[in-house]
Amino acid sequence: MHKTMDNAEAQQCLQSLMRVWFDFERRLNRVPIIQRLENGEFTQQDYLSLLLNLRQQVIEGSRWITRSASSFDRHYSEIRSQVINHAKDEHRDYLLLEQDFVALGGDLAAIQAGARNIGSEALHGYLMYRASRPNPVDMIGAMWMIEGLGEKMASNWADRIDELIALGGEKTCFLRYHGHNDASHLETFCHMLDSVCRESTTHRAIVKTAQVVARLYCMQLDEIDG
Amino acid sequence: MTDVYNAYLTSTGRFLPGPPINNDQIEDHLGRVHGKPSRLKAKILASNGIKTRHYAIDKLQQTQYLNCDMGANAARDCLQRCGLRVSEIEMLAAATSQGDLVLPGFGSMLQAAMELPDIELLTAHGICSSSLMALKSAANAIRLGEHSKALVVASEFASRLFKASRYEALDKHYGQDFNAEFLRWMLSDGAGAVLLENAPRGRCLQIEWIKSFSHADAFPVCMSVGQAKDGRQSWQDYPSYAEAEAAGALLLRQDVRLLDNMVKLGVDGFLRLLASELVTVSSIDHVLCHYSSDFFRSKIFDLLSAAGAMVPEERWYTNLYERGNTGCASIFIMLDEFLRSRKPAPGEKVFCMVPESGRFNTAYMLLNVVDANA
Repeated sequence: MHKTMDNAEAQQCLQSLMRVWFDFERRLNRVPIIQRLENGEFTQQDYLSLLLNLRQQVIEGSRWITRSASSFDRHYSEIRSQVINHAKDEHRDYLLLEQDFVALGGDLAAIQAGARNIGSEALHGYLMYRASRPNPVDMIGAMWMIEGLGEKMASNWADRIDELIALGGEKTCFLRYHGHNDASHLETFCHMLDSVCRESTTHRAIVKTAQVVARLYCMQLDEIDG
Repeated sequence: MTDVYNAYLTSTGRFLPGPPINNDQIEDHLGRVHGKPSRLKAKILASNGIKTRHYAIDKLQQTQYLNCDMGANAARDCLQRCGLRVSEIEMLAAATSQGDLVLPGFGSMLQAAMELPDIELLTAHGICSSSLMALKSAANAIRLGEHSKALVVASEFASRLFKASRYEALDKHYGQDFNAEFLRWMLSDGAGAVLLENAPRGRCLQIEWIKSFSHADAFPVCMSVGQAKDGRQSWQDYPSYAEAEAAGALLLRQDVRLLDNMVKLGVDGFLRLLASELVTVSSIDHVLCHYSSDFFRSKIFDLLSAAGAMVPEERWYTNLYERGNTGCASIFIMLDEFLRSRKPAPGEKVFCMVPESGRFNTAYMLLNVVDANA
């Protein structure tokens, strides 16, 4: 974690990504359902709605990652390996989400029949479009945000939901699943950024994709009350 | 067109009431709640790292110095050091978390205590960052040429909120409240003052800029007096103040769950300043950061290191461990002791940073060491 990056462009890019992340956390806190979570007004119904709405994007989550992996040619084999590792983590996590939903008293048929909300539609569409372009290095920005979200759900939202609606940790398995909470994860990410981000155009593309993902993810959560 | 002048920080002063109080003596001053020693004290003190602090109350919890008197003493120390008379001061900007009275503003009480005639007055009300808000307003008045000499005073009297009797006044069913005890072992009393002028005086500090970023719109309240645990209503909405007190609405409370945000926002603001080229990491010779406890020091270092924006540790100065956390007064008390003990050389840059947890405001200041006689 304390390792300095070899190239200045990647270091600058990491600083920009950190700022995008901090800004995203503030944006999330302004979304009504997360505002209720932060203010302590979050209900069991809110949690059901959150899972219902997240599931439709999560179930497609592994697709944009595997699509990204296949869009990298042999000159990007290192980053391709990283992306494939990332996909392995994701591709069946929706099953945990459905288990939590059912454990809460939700109807499995209802969540499986659910449609993507407007924000999920936009987020999924955008990720698939970017992932389909040749050598989509900007997807590093998307991975930064999605990994960050995994951490945030595990270390922040899951405990808060348990605290507010007393679930005893058994119905927040999906939220807790992506919490890696170790420095090696960041180190791996930094290594990837260091090897790929050598020009300002790459830096800008990575940051822009992170920003778009941030906006669309907020839209997805906004739509829960929409 | 209006001329814009430079503002210089030309003198500092401080006042710390009574002798230094070590960790074993704290409860002798604040009192033991229902006669029993605290079970949380050791844990919280181990985390914040503070070894000694000062209190303006005695062992019977009687006030020895009013908040405005502490402020006035710090201001006199500041003026004495540069040989200025109070009549030469044109503006007083005062900061505190809680004055001696609810009304009028703390500045009025401070002005009277100092016998300052005919000044322009400003009271900045907030928590830790209010001193830099006051400083910025005064510096701007100097820059605009409205005043040539302004005094900025920050003073805190937190121990009044931590008397054992405050906790004994709670409803008997209240139960343990970690968040309401957390700050009891962290905050203490004291005052700091700085003089601003439109021309340098001896070796002094030119104010390059002061910036702050507030995020109250995006976060719940993190540090407060005036609402009960999980409460929505204000202390003023209870039928009587006694009922507000029994409900715990008058306790100083920290929502520790939210504290990590302070580290992130503090670093976020710094990255923002780097991105807007207001400062560079390598140009900073000294960092004076008001981190509230040792626990956050390492967290800030980790995050800055991850960003590749760490100012080497040997350039960080603090007197938190000896002088305690005195809220908004801390940065001035730190600056005062730093200037006296380290004597920074002309050309060096001093970067100050004050993250406030109240509802998340982070303030920054860049100072340039100059010499009027050079």
